[in-house]
Amino acid sequence: MEYIVQTQNLSKRFGKEQAVSNMNLQIRKGEIYGFLGPNGAGKTTTIRMLLGLMKPSSGTIKIFQKDITKERIQILANVGSLVENPSYYPHLTAYENLEAIRKILGVSKSRIDEVLEIVRLKEAANKKVKGFSLGMKQRLGIAASLLHNPELLILDEPTNGLDPSGIIEIRNLIKRLPKEYGMTIIISSHLLSEIDQMATQVGIVSKGKLIFQDSIEAMRQFAQPKVTFKVNNSEKGWRSLLANGIKADYRDGVIFLEECSDEKVAHIVQVLVQEGISIFRVEEEKRSLEEIFLQMTTGEQAI
Amino acid sequence: MMGRLLTADFLKIKRKGLWFLTLLGPFGVVALQMVNYGVRKDYLLQQSEDDWGYFLLNVHSFTPLAIVLGIAILTSFIASIENETNAWKQLIALPVSKLTVYLSKFTVLAILLFLASTLLMIFSLGYGLFLNLGETIPYLELAKFSYFPALAALPILALQLWIASVSHNQGIPITVGIFGVIFAYSSYVLPDWMIWKWPSLMNQWNEPMINVMLGVGTGILLYIAGMIDFARRDVK
Repeated sequence: MEYIVQTQNLSKRFGKEQAVSNMNLQIRKGEIYGFLGPNGAGKTTTIRMLLGLMKPSSGTIKIFQKDITKERIQILANVGSLVENPSYYPHLTAYENLEAIRKILGVSKSRIDEVLEIVRLKEAANKKVKGFSLGMKQRLGIAASLLHNPELLILDEPTNGLDPSGIIEIRNLIKRLPKEYGMTIIISSHLLSEIDQMATQVGIVSKGKLIFQDSIEAMRQFAQPKVTFKVNNSEKGWRSLLANGIKADYRDGVIFLEECSDEKVAHIVQVLVQEGISIFRVEEEKRSLEEIFLQMTTGEQAI
Repeated sequence: MMGRLLTADFLKIKRKGLWFLTLLGPFGVVALQMVNYGVRKDYLLQQSEDDWGYFLLNVHSFTPLAIVLGIAILTSFIASIENETNAWKQLIALPVSKLTVYLSKFTVLAILLFLASTLLMIFSLGYGLFLNLGETIPYLELAKFSYFPALAALPILALQLWIASVSHNQGIPITVGIFGVIFAYSSYVLPDWMIWKWPSLMNQWNEPMINVMLGVGTGILLYIAGMIDFARRDVK
Protein backbone atom coordinates (compact mmCIF):
# COMPACT_ATOMS: atom_id res chain seq x y z
CA MET A 1 0.00 0.00 0.00
CA GLU A 2 1.25 3.39 -0.95
CA TYR A 3 1.30 6.02 1.76
CA ILE A 4 0.91 9.73 1.07
CA VAL A 5 2.53 10.53 4.39
CA GLN A 6 4.86 8.22 6.20
CA THR A 7 7.08 9.07 9.13
CA GLN A 8 9.64 6.84 10.72
CA ASN A 9 10.72 7.27 14.33
CA LEU A 10 10.03 10.96 14.03
CA SER A 11 11.27 12.79 17.12
CA LYS A 12 11.71 16.36 18.19
CA ARG A 13 13.17 17.72 21.37
CA PHE A 14 13.31 21.29 22.60
CA GLY A 15 16.21 21.44 25.02
CA LYS A 16 15.35 18.85 27.65
CA GLU A 17 11.73 18.52 26.69
CA GLN A 18 10.84 15.67 24.36
CA ALA A 19 7.93 17.07 22.35
CA VAL A 20 7.55 14.21 19.89
CA SER A 21 9.07 10.77 20.22
CA ASN A 22 9.30 7.91 17.74
CA MET A 23 6.19 8.74 15.82
CA ASN A 24 5.29 6.45 12.95
CA LEU A 25 2.45 7.97 11.00
CA GLN A 26 0.98 6.20 7.99
CA ILE A 27 -1.60 8.00 5.93
CA ARG A 28 -3.12 6.65 2.76
CA LYS A 29 -4.51 8.52 -0.22
CA GLY A 30 -8.04 9.84 0.06
CA GLU A 31 -8.23 9.48 3.83
CA ILE A 32 -9.35 12.08 6.29
CA TYR A 33 -6.82 11.41 8.99
CA GLY A 34 -7.87 12.65 12.40
CA PHE A 35 -4.85 13.57 14.46
CA LEU A 36 -6.08 13.58 17.99
CA GLY A 37 -4.59 14.41 21.34
CA PRO A 38 -4.89 16.73 24.30
CA ASN A 39 -3.39 20.21 24.14
CA GLY A 40 0.37 20.13 24.28
CA ALA A 41 0.61 16.50 23.18
CA GLY A 42 2.85 17.35 20.22
CA LYS A 43 0.31 17.60 17.42
CA THR A 44 1.32 21.05 16.23
CA THR A 45 5.01 20.22 16.50
CA THR A 46 4.46 17.13 14.34
CA ILE A 47 2.52 19.13 11.79
CA ARG A 48 5.24 21.76 11.69
CA MET A 49 7.76 19.09 10.95
CA LEU A 50 5.54 17.67 8.20
CA LEU A 51 5.53 21.12 6.60
CA GLY A 52 9.27 21.58 6.95
CA LEU A 53 8.81 24.52 9.32
CA MET A 54 10.79 22.65 11.95
CA LYS A 55 13.59 20.19 11.50
CA PRO A 56 13.15 16.81 13.21
CA SER A 57 15.73 15.94 15.87
CA SER A 58 15.73 12.44 14.43
CA GLY A 59 13.66 10.22 12.18
CA THR A 60 12.44 10.69 8.62
CA ILE A 61 9.38 12.13 6.95
CA LYS A 62 8.25 11.00 3.53
CA ILE A 63 5.45 12.80 1.76
CA PHE A 64 4.46 11.54 -1.71
CA GLN A 65 7.38 9.10 -1.25
CA LYS A 66 9.82 12.01 -1.16
CA ASP A 67 12.05 13.02 1.71
CA ILE A 68 11.00 16.38 3.16
CA THR A 69 14.55 17.44 4.03
CA LYS A 70 15.72 16.87 0.46
CA GLU A 71 12.75 17.83 -1.69
CA ARG A 72 10.86 20.27 0.51
CA ILE A 73 9.89 22.69 -2.24
CA GLN A 74 8.61 20.02 -4.66
CA ILE A 75 6.56 18.46 -1.85
CA LEU A 76 5.11 21.75 -0.61
CA ALA A 77 4.00 22.59 -4.14
CA ASN A 78 1.31 19.96 -3.59
CA VAL A 79 0.55 20.59 0.07
CA GLY A 80 -1.91 23.11 1.46
CA SER A 81 -1.82 24.00 5.12
CA LEU A 82 -3.41 25.93 7.92
CA VAL A 83 -1.32 25.86 11.07
CA GLU A 84 -2.88 26.83 14.39
CA ASN A 85 -4.29 30.36 14.41
CA PRO A 86 -4.95 31.64 10.94
CA SER A 87 -2.23 33.89 9.54
CA TYR A 88 -3.29 36.82 7.46
CA TYR A 89 -2.35 40.39 6.64
CA PRO A 90 -4.95 42.50 8.46
CA HIS A 91 -4.32 45.68 6.45
CA LEU A 92 -5.12 43.91 3.18
CA THR A 93 -8.48 42.75 1.87
CA ALA A 94 -9.38 39.07 1.64
CA TYR A 95 -8.74 39.22 -2.09
CA GLU A 96 -5.34 40.88 -1.64
CA ASN A 97 -4.38 38.36 1.00
CA LEU A 98 -5.03 35.54 -1.43
CA GLU A 99 -3.35 37.48 -4.23
CA ALA A 100 -0.14 37.78 -2.19
CA ILE A 101 -0.07 34.01 -1.80
CA ARG A 102 -1.25 33.33 -5.33
CA LYS A 103 1.67 35.34 -6.71
CA ILE A 104 4.12 33.12 -4.88
CA LEU A 105 2.36 29.92 -5.91
CA GLY A 106 2.10 31.07 -9.52
CA VAL A 107 -1.43 29.79 -10.12
CA SER A 108 -3.99 31.55 -12.27
CA LYS A 109 -5.94 34.53 -10.96
CA SER A 110 -9.27 32.78 -11.46
CA ARG A 111 -8.38 30.42 -8.60
CA ILE A 112 -8.91 33.26 -6.12
CA ASP A 113 -12.57 33.56 -7.05
CA GLU A 114 -12.91 29.80 -7.05
CA VAL A 115 -11.55 29.32 -3.54
CA LEU A 116 -13.51 32.30 -2.23
CA GLU A 117 -16.57 30.57 -3.64
CA ILE A 118 -15.66 27.27 -1.94
CA VAL A 119 -15.36 28.88 1.50
CA ARG A 120 -18.23 31.29 0.79
CA LEU A 121 -16.37 34.53 1.35
CA LYS A 122 -17.17 36.08 -1.98
CA GLU A 123 -19.21 38.94 -0.57
CA ALA A 124 -16.41 39.87 1.83
CA ALA A 125 -13.65 39.65 -0.80
CA ASN A 126 -12.99 43.37 -0.87
CA LYS A 127 -13.18 44.02 2.85
CA LYS A 128 -10.11 44.31 5.02
CA VAL A 129 -9.41 41.16 6.97
CA LYS A 130 -8.93 43.28 10.12
CA GLY A 131 -12.71 43.41 10.54
CA PHE A 132 -13.36 39.71 9.92
CA SER A 133 -14.78 37.40 12.56
CA LEU A 134 -12.60 34.51 13.65
CA GLY A 135 -14.71 32.12 11.59
CA MET A 136 -14.18 34.22 8.48
CA LYS A 137 -10.44 34.42 9.11
CA GLN A 138 -10.35 30.68 9.56
CA ARG A 139 -12.20 30.21 6.27
CA LEU A 140 -9.84 32.63 4.56
CA GLY A 141 -6.97 30.49 5.85
CA ILE A 142 -8.58 27.41 4.35
CA ALA A 143 -9.14 29.28 1.09
CA ALA A 144 -5.43 30.14 1.01
CA SER A 145 -4.52 26.52 1.59
CA LEU A 146 -6.72 25.44 -1.33
CA LEU A 147 -5.34 27.94 -3.85
CA HIS A 148 -3.00 25.55 -5.65
CA ASN A 149 -5.39 22.58 -5.52
CA PRO A 150 -3.10 20.55 -3.27
CA GLU A 151 -3.11 16.76 -3.13
CA LEU A 152 -2.56 16.89 0.61
CA LEU A 153 -4.24 19.32 2.95
CA ILE A 154 -2.95 19.73 6.49
CA LEU A 155 -5.28 21.54 8.87
CA ASP A 156 -4.23 22.15 12.45
CA GLU A 157 -7.20 22.73 14.73
CA PRO A 158 -9.32 24.32 11.98
CA THR A 159 -12.42 24.59 14.17
CA ASN A 160 -10.64 26.05 17.18
CA GLY A 161 -12.52 29.00 18.63
CA LEU A 162 -15.43 28.80 16.21
CA ASP A 163 -19.09 28.94 17.14
CA PRO A 164 -21.25 25.86 16.48
CA SER A 165 -22.52 27.03 13.10
CA GLY A 166 -18.97 27.85 12.05
CA ILE A 167 -17.83 24.42 13.15
CA ILE A 168 -20.57 22.71 11.15
CA GLU A 169 -19.74 24.80 8.10
CA ILE A 170 -16.06 23.93 8.21
CA ARG A 171 -16.83 20.28 8.92
CA ASN A 172 -19.05 20.02 5.86
CA LEU A 173 -16.41 21.73 3.78
CA ILE A 174 -13.72 19.33 4.93
CA LYS A 175 -15.89 16.28 4.29
CA ARG A 176 -16.56 17.49 0.76
CA LEU A 177 -12.93 17.91 -0.29
CA PRO A 178 -11.75 14.30 -0.58
CA LYS A 179 -14.87 13.36 -2.54
CA GLU A 180 -14.87 16.30 -4.90
CA TYR A 181 -11.19 16.98 -5.34
CA GLY A 182 -9.53 13.71 -4.37
CA MET A 183 -7.56 15.34 -1.60
CA THR A 184 -6.01 13.60 1.35
CA ILE A 185 -6.59 15.51 4.56
CA ILE A 186 -4.81 15.54 7.89
CA ILE A 187 -6.84 17.31 10.52
CA SER A 188 -5.75 17.76 14.10
CA SER A 189 -7.98 18.42 17.04
CA HIS A 190 -8.19 17.96 20.77
CA LEU A 191 -11.91 17.22 20.49
CA LEU A 192 -12.79 13.64 19.72
CA SER A 193 -16.36 14.51 18.74
CA GLU A 194 -14.91 16.66 15.97
CA ILE A 195 -12.75 13.90 14.57
CA ASP A 196 -15.49 11.32 15.09
CA GLN A 197 -17.73 13.13 12.65
CA MET A 198 -15.17 13.62 9.91
CA ALA A 199 -12.26 11.24 10.02
CA THR A 200 -11.87 7.87 8.38
CA GLN A 201 -8.58 7.13 10.14
CA VAL A 202 -7.48 8.21 13.59
CA GLY A 203 -4.12 8.69 15.20
CA ILE A 204 -4.10 9.43 18.90
CA VAL A 205 -1.10 11.15 20.34
CA SER A 206 -0.32 11.64 23.99
CA LYS A 207 2.84 13.08 25.50
CA GLY A 208 4.51 13.05 22.11
CA LYS A 209 3.82 9.38 21.45
CA LEU A 210 1.41 7.85 18.99
CA ILE A 211 -0.64 5.52 21.17
CA PHE A 212 -3.28 4.47 18.65
CA GLN A 213 -3.50 4.47 14.88
CA ASP A 214 -6.28 2.72 13.01
CA SER A 215 -9.63 3.28 11.34
CA ILE A 216 -12.36 5.09 13.23
CA GLU A 217 -14.39 1.84 13.20
CA ALA A 218 -11.59 0.04 14.98
CA MET A 219 -11.68 2.73 17.60
CA ARG A 220 -15.42 2.35 17.98
CA GLN A 221 -14.83 -1.35 18.72
CA PHE A 222 -13.40 -0.14 21.99
CA ALA A 223 -16.70 1.42 22.82
CA GLN A 224 -18.25 -1.88 23.98
CA PRO A 225 -21.37 -1.38 26.01
CA LYS A 226 -21.50 -2.45 29.65
CA VAL A 227 -24.64 -3.95 31.22
CA THR A 228 -25.58 -3.14 34.81
CA PHE A 229 -28.16 -4.84 37.02
CA LYS A 230 -29.81 -3.04 39.92
CA VAL A 231 -31.38 -5.56 42.32
CA ASN A 232 -32.65 -5.56 45.90
CA ASN A 233 -29.79 -7.67 47.24
CA SER A 234 -26.79 -7.10 45.06
CA GLU A 235 -24.23 -9.06 47.01
CA LYS A 236 -26.38 -12.17 47.18
CA GLY A 237 -27.22 -11.87 43.52
CA TRP A 238 -23.58 -11.47 42.59
CA ARG A 239 -22.58 -14.56 44.59
CA SER A 240 -25.28 -16.64 43.00
CA LEU A 241 -24.17 -15.53 39.56
CA LEU A 242 -20.62 -16.55 40.37
CA ALA A 243 -21.92 -19.87 41.71
CA ASN A 244 -23.60 -20.38 38.33
CA GLY A 245 -20.34 -19.75 36.53
CA ILE A 246 -21.14 -16.25 35.27
CA LYS A 247 -18.25 -13.84 35.63
CA ALA A 248 -19.79 -10.63 36.89
CA ASP A 249 -18.42 -7.68 38.79
CA TYR A 250 -19.86 -6.12 41.88
CA ARG A 251 -19.23 -2.54 42.87
CA ASP A 252 -21.14 0.25 44.63
CA GLY A 253 -24.24 -1.90 45.08
CA VAL A 254 -24.61 -2.78 41.39
CA ILE A 255 -23.75 -5.87 39.44
CA PHE A 256 -22.21 -5.20 36.08
CA LEU A 257 -20.82 -7.12 33.14
CA GLU A 258 -18.54 -6.14 30.31
CA GLU A 259 -19.42 -7.56 26.92
CA CYS A 260 -22.84 -9.06 27.28
CA SER A 261 -24.83 -10.82 24.57
CA ASP A 262 -28.63 -10.82 24.58
CA GLU A 263 -28.76 -14.52 25.54
CA LYS A 264 -26.41 -13.92 28.43
CA VAL A 265 -28.60 -11.14 29.80
CA ALA A 266 -31.63 -13.42 29.58
CA HIS A 267 -29.73 -16.17 31.39
CA ILE A 268 -28.62 -13.83 34.17
CA VAL A 269 -32.15 -12.56 34.69
CA GLN A 270 -33.38 -16.13 34.89
CA VAL A 271 -30.75 -17.05 37.49
CA LEU A 272 -31.53 -14.00 39.60
CA VAL A 273 -35.27 -14.59 39.48
CA GLN A 274 -34.81 -18.21 40.47
CA GLU A 275 -32.79 -17.05 43.47
CA GLY A 276 -35.75 -14.92 44.48
CA ILE A 277 -34.06 -11.62 43.92
CA SER A 278 -36.08 -8.63 42.76
CA ILE A 279 -34.68 -7.00 39.68
CA PHE A 280 -35.24 -3.24 39.54
CA ARG A 281 -33.35 -2.27 36.45
CA VAL A 282 -31.27 -3.79 33.66
CA GLU A 283 -29.38 -1.08 31.86
CA GLU A 284 -26.96 -0.88 29.01
CA GLU A 285 -24.30 1.75 29.52
CA LYS A 286 -22.56 2.77 26.35
CA ARG A 287 -19.03 3.93 26.76
CA SER A 288 -18.55 6.96 24.62
CA LEU A 289 -15.51 7.47 22.47
CA GLU A 290 -14.77 10.45 24.70
CA GLU A 291 -14.33 8.12 27.63
CA ILE A 292 -12.06 5.83 25.67
CA PHE A 293 -10.04 8.77 24.50
CA LEU A 294 -9.72 10.12 28.02
CA GLN A 295 -8.80 6.70 29.30
CA MET A 296 -6.13 6.32 26.64
CA THR A 297 -4.59 9.72 27.15
CA THR A 298 -4.81 9.98 30.93
CA GLY A 299 -3.72 6.37 31.45
CA GLU A 300 -0.45 7.47 30.01
CA GLN A 301 -0.14 10.32 32.50
CA ALA A 302 -0.88 8.11 35.52
CA ILE A 303 2.25 6.05 34.89
CA MET B 1 10.65 32.49 -7.78
CA MET B 2 12.41 35.62 -6.58
CA GLY B 3 10.32 37.81 -8.87
CA ARG B 4 7.07 36.32 -7.56
CA LEU B 5 8.11 36.81 -3.96
CA LEU B 6 9.11 40.39 -4.67
CA THR B 7 5.77 41.30 -6.23
CA ALA B 8 4.00 39.63 -3.30
CA ASP B 9 6.14 41.59 -0.85
CA PHE B 10 5.40 44.85 -2.60
CA LEU B 11 1.69 44.00 -2.39
CA LYS B 12 2.03 43.38 1.35
CA ILE B 13 3.54 46.79 2.11
CA LYS B 14 0.48 48.49 0.65
CA ARG B 15 -1.31 50.83 3.05
CA LYS B 16 1.42 50.40 5.67
CA GLY B 17 2.89 53.87 5.13
CA LEU B 18 6.27 52.58 3.92
CA TRP B 19 6.11 54.50 0.66
CA PHE B 20 5.15 57.62 2.56
CA LEU B 21 8.11 57.24 4.94
CA THR B 22 10.41 56.74 1.97
CA LEU B 23 9.24 60.10 0.68
CA LEU B 24 9.19 61.80 4.06
CA GLY B 25 12.83 60.99 4.94
CA PRO B 26 14.58 62.83 2.11
CA PHE B 27 11.97 65.56 2.16
CA GLY B 28 12.58 66.14 5.86
CA VAL B 29 16.34 66.38 5.37
CA VAL B 30 15.98 69.02 2.65
CA ALA B 31 13.17 70.79 4.55
CA LEU B 32 15.58 71.38 7.43
CA GLN B 33 17.83 73.23 5.01
CA MET B 34 14.83 75.18 3.76
CA VAL B 35 14.42 76.45 7.29
CA ASN B 36 18.17 76.99 7.69
CA TYR B 37 18.59 78.90 4.40
CA GLY B 38 15.22 80.57 4.78
CA VAL B 39 16.25 82.15 8.06
CA ARG B 40 19.89 83.03 7.39
CA LYS B 41 20.66 82.62 3.72
CA ASP B 42 22.98 85.64 3.45
CA TYR B 43 25.07 84.53 6.42
CA LEU B 44 25.37 80.99 5.07
CA LEU B 45 26.40 82.14 1.61
CA GLN B 46 29.25 84.14 3.17
CA GLN B 47 30.67 81.06 4.86
CA SER B 48 32.20 79.58 1.75
CA GLU B 49 33.25 80.43 -1.78
CA ASP B 50 31.73 77.19 -3.00
CA ASP B 51 28.03 77.78 -2.30
CA TRP B 52 26.86 74.48 -3.84
CA GLY B 53 29.44 72.47 -1.91
CA TYR B 54 28.57 74.19 1.34
CA PHE B 55 24.86 73.63 0.74
CA LEU B 56 25.42 69.91 0.07
CA LEU B 57 27.49 69.63 3.25
CA ASN B 58 24.63 71.19 5.20
CA VAL B 59 22.14 68.78 3.68
CA HIS B 60 24.47 65.90 4.40
CA SER B 61 24.71 66.80 8.08
CA PHE B 62 21.26 65.30 8.62
CA THR B 63 21.31 62.53 6.00
CA PRO B 64 22.98 59.84 8.17
CA LEU B 65 20.46 60.39 10.96
CA ALA B 66 17.53 60.12 8.59
CA ILE B 67 18.96 56.99 6.99
CA VAL B 68 19.66 55.17 10.26
CA LEU B 69 16.27 56.11 11.67
CA GLY B 70 14.53 55.26 8.42
CA ILE B 71 16.19 51.85 8.21
CA ALA B 72 15.16 51.00 11.77
CA ILE B 73 11.54 51.96 11.10
CA LEU B 74 11.25 50.33 7.67
CA THR B 75 12.82 47.02 8.74
CA SER B 76 10.61 46.67 11.78
CA PHE B 77 7.54 47.56 9.69
CA ILE B 78 8.42 44.93 7.12
CA ALA B 79 9.04 42.32 9.79
CA SER B 80 5.90 43.29 11.68
CA ILE B 81 3.76 42.57 8.62
CA GLU B 82 4.78 38.91 8.95
CA ASN B 83 5.05 38.93 12.74
CA GLU B 84 1.63 40.41 13.46
CA THR B 85 -0.32 37.21 12.89
CA ASN B 86 2.77 35.02 12.62
CA ALA B 87 2.37 34.83 8.87
CA TRP B 88 5.95 33.50 8.65
CA LYS B 89 4.57 30.00 9.15
CA GLN B 90 2.11 30.45 6.29
CA LEU B 91 4.76 31.99 4.05
CA ILE B 92 7.40 29.35 4.70
CA ALA B 93 4.93 26.47 4.30
CA LEU B 94 4.60 27.60 0.68
CA PRO B 95 6.92 26.08 -1.91
CA VAL B 96 9.64 28.71 -1.47
CA SER B 97 13.13 28.51 -0.08
CA LYS B 98 13.76 30.40 3.13
CA LEU B 99 16.83 31.99 1.61
CA THR B 100 14.72 33.53 -1.14
CA VAL B 101 12.14 34.76 1.37
CA TYR B 102 14.90 36.61 3.23
CA LEU B 103 16.50 37.91 0.05
CA SER B 104 13.14 39.25 -1.09
CA LYS B 105 12.61 41.19 2.13
CA PHE B 106 16.13 42.62 1.89
CA THR B 107 15.59 43.59 -1.72
CA VAL B 108 12.37 45.45 -0.95
CA LEU B 109 14.19 47.42 1.76
CA ALA B 110 17.18 48.11 -0.46
CA ILE B 111 14.88 49.36 -3.22
CA LEU B 112 13.11 51.69 -0.78
CA LEU B 113 16.46 52.93 0.54
CA PHE B 114 17.76 53.75 -2.93
CA LEU B 115 14.50 55.33 -3.91
CA ALA B 116 14.88 57.58 -0.86
CA SER B 117 18.45 58.42 -1.97
CA THR B 118 17.24 59.33 -5.44
CA LEU B 119 14.54 61.53 -3.97
CA LEU B 120 17.15 63.17 -1.76
CA MET B 121 19.18 63.98 -4.85
CA ILE B 122 16.17 65.45 -6.65
CA PHE B 123 15.08 67.51 -3.65
CA SER B 124 18.61 68.80 -3.00
CA LEU B 125 19.01 69.75 -6.64
CA GLY B 126 15.60 71.39 -6.71
CA TYR B 127 16.15 73.49 -3.61
CA GLY B 128 19.71 74.29 -4.66
CA LEU B 129 18.43 75.62 -7.97
CA PHE B 130 15.75 77.59 -6.12
CA LEU B 131 18.44 79.16 -3.93
CA ASN B 132 20.36 80.13 -7.07
CA LEU B 133 23.66 78.82 -5.75
CA GLY B 134 25.59 79.23 -8.96
CA GLU B 135 25.72 78.36 -12.62
CA THR B 136 27.89 75.26 -12.42
CA ILE B 137 25.97 72.53 -10.72
CA PRO B 138 28.28 69.87 -9.15
CA TYR B 139 26.31 66.83 -10.34
CA LEU B 140 28.99 64.37 -9.28
CA GLU B 141 29.13 65.74 -5.74
CA LEU B 142 25.34 65.77 -5.62
CA ALA B 143 25.19 62.09 -6.57
CA LYS B 144 27.93 61.23 -4.08
CA PHE B 145 26.20 62.92 -1.18
CA SER B 146 22.95 61.22 -2.10
CA TYR B 147 24.04 57.64 -2.72
CA PHE B 148 27.21 57.17 -0.68
CA PRO B 149 25.51 57.41 2.74
CA ALA B 150 22.95 54.78 1.69
CA LEU B 151 25.67 52.42 0.43
CA ALA B 152 27.67 52.95 3.62
CA ALA B 153 24.49 52.19 5.63
CA LEU B 154 24.01 48.70 4.09
CA PRO B 155 25.52 46.92 7.13
CA ILE B 156 22.97 48.67 9.35
CA LEU B 157 20.18 47.54 7.02
CA ALA B 158 21.45 43.96 7.05
CA LEU B 159 21.83 43.97 10.83
CA GLN B 160 18.42 45.49 11.51
CA LEU B 161 16.66 43.07 9.15
CA TRP B 162 18.43 40.15 10.78
CA ILE B 163 17.36 41.23 14.26
CA ALA B 164 13.82 42.17 13.22
CA SER B 165 13.12 38.93 11.38
CA VAL B 166 14.34 36.58 14.10
CA SER B 167 12.95 38.46 17.14
CA HIS B 168 9.44 37.71 18.28
CA ASN B 169 9.57 40.81 20.40
CA GLN B 170 9.74 43.84 18.12
CA GLY B 171 11.04 45.87 21.06
CA ILE B 172 14.48 44.41 20.44
CA PRO B 173 15.03 45.73 16.87
CA ILE B 174 13.50 49.07 17.87
CA THR B 175 15.92 49.36 20.79
CA VAL B 176 18.87 48.53 18.56
CA GLY B 177 17.52 51.08 16.08
CA ILE B 178 17.35 53.80 18.73
CA PHE B 179 20.92 53.10 19.80
CA GLY B 180 21.88 53.24 16.15
CA VAL B 181 20.34 56.70 15.84
CA ILE B 182 22.19 57.87 18.94
CA PHE B 183 25.43 56.46 17.54
CA ALA B 184 24.80 58.11 14.18
CA TYR B 185 24.14 61.39 15.96
CA SER B 186 27.46 61.17 17.75
CA SER B 187 29.46 59.87 14.81
CA TYR B 188 32.11 62.59 15.37
CA VAL B 189 33.34 60.84 18.46
CA LEU B 190 32.83 57.26 17.33
CA PRO B 191 35.79 55.10 16.27
CA ASP B 192 36.03 54.34 12.56
CA TRP B 193 35.10 50.66 12.89
CA MET B 194 31.57 51.37 14.16
CA ILE B 195 29.09 50.75 11.33
CA TRP B 196 26.85 53.57 12.55
CA LYS B 197 29.58 56.07 11.78
CA TRP B 198 29.94 55.03 8.15
CA PRO B 199 26.92 56.87 6.64
CA SER B 200 28.47 60.14 7.83
CA LEU B 201 31.27 59.37 5.31
CA MET B 202 33.84 60.52 7.88
CA ASN B 203 37.03 58.63 8.53
CA GLN B 204 40.56 59.39 9.57
CA TRP B 205 41.79 59.28 5.95
CA ASN B 206 39.13 61.73 4.80
CA GLU B 207 38.17 59.46 1.96
CA PRO B 208 34.39 58.74 1.68
CA MET B 209 35.05 55.94 -0.78
CA ILE B 210 36.50 53.83 2.06
CA ASN B 211 33.16 54.02 3.90
CA VAL B 212 31.32 52.97 0.77
CA MET B 213 33.60 49.98 0.18
CA LEU B 214 33.44 48.95 3.81
CA GLY B 215 29.68 49.42 3.80
CA VAL B 216 29.06 47.24 0.77
CA GLY B 217 31.53 44.56 1.90
CA THR B 218 30.36 44.38 5.50
CA GLY B 219 26.75 44.71 4.35
CA ILE B 220 27.09 41.60 2.20
CA LEU B 221 28.74 39.67 5.04
CA LEU B 222 26.07 40.65 7.57
CA TYR B 223 23.36 39.90 5.03
CA ILE B 224 24.72 36.39 4.45
CA ALA B 225 25.06 35.77 8.18
CA GLY B 226 21.47 36.92 8.76
CA MET B 227 20.13 34.85 5.89
CA ILE B 228 21.86 31.67 7.08
CA ASP B 229 20.65 32.22 10.64
CA PHE B 230 17.10 32.87 9.43
CA ALA B 231 17.09 29.69 7.32
CA ARG B 232 18.55 27.61 10.14
CA ARG B 233 15.89 28.53 12.70
CA ASP B 234 12.66 26.63 13.28
CA VAL B 235 9.53 28.61 12.47
CA LYS B 236 7.40 28.93 15.57
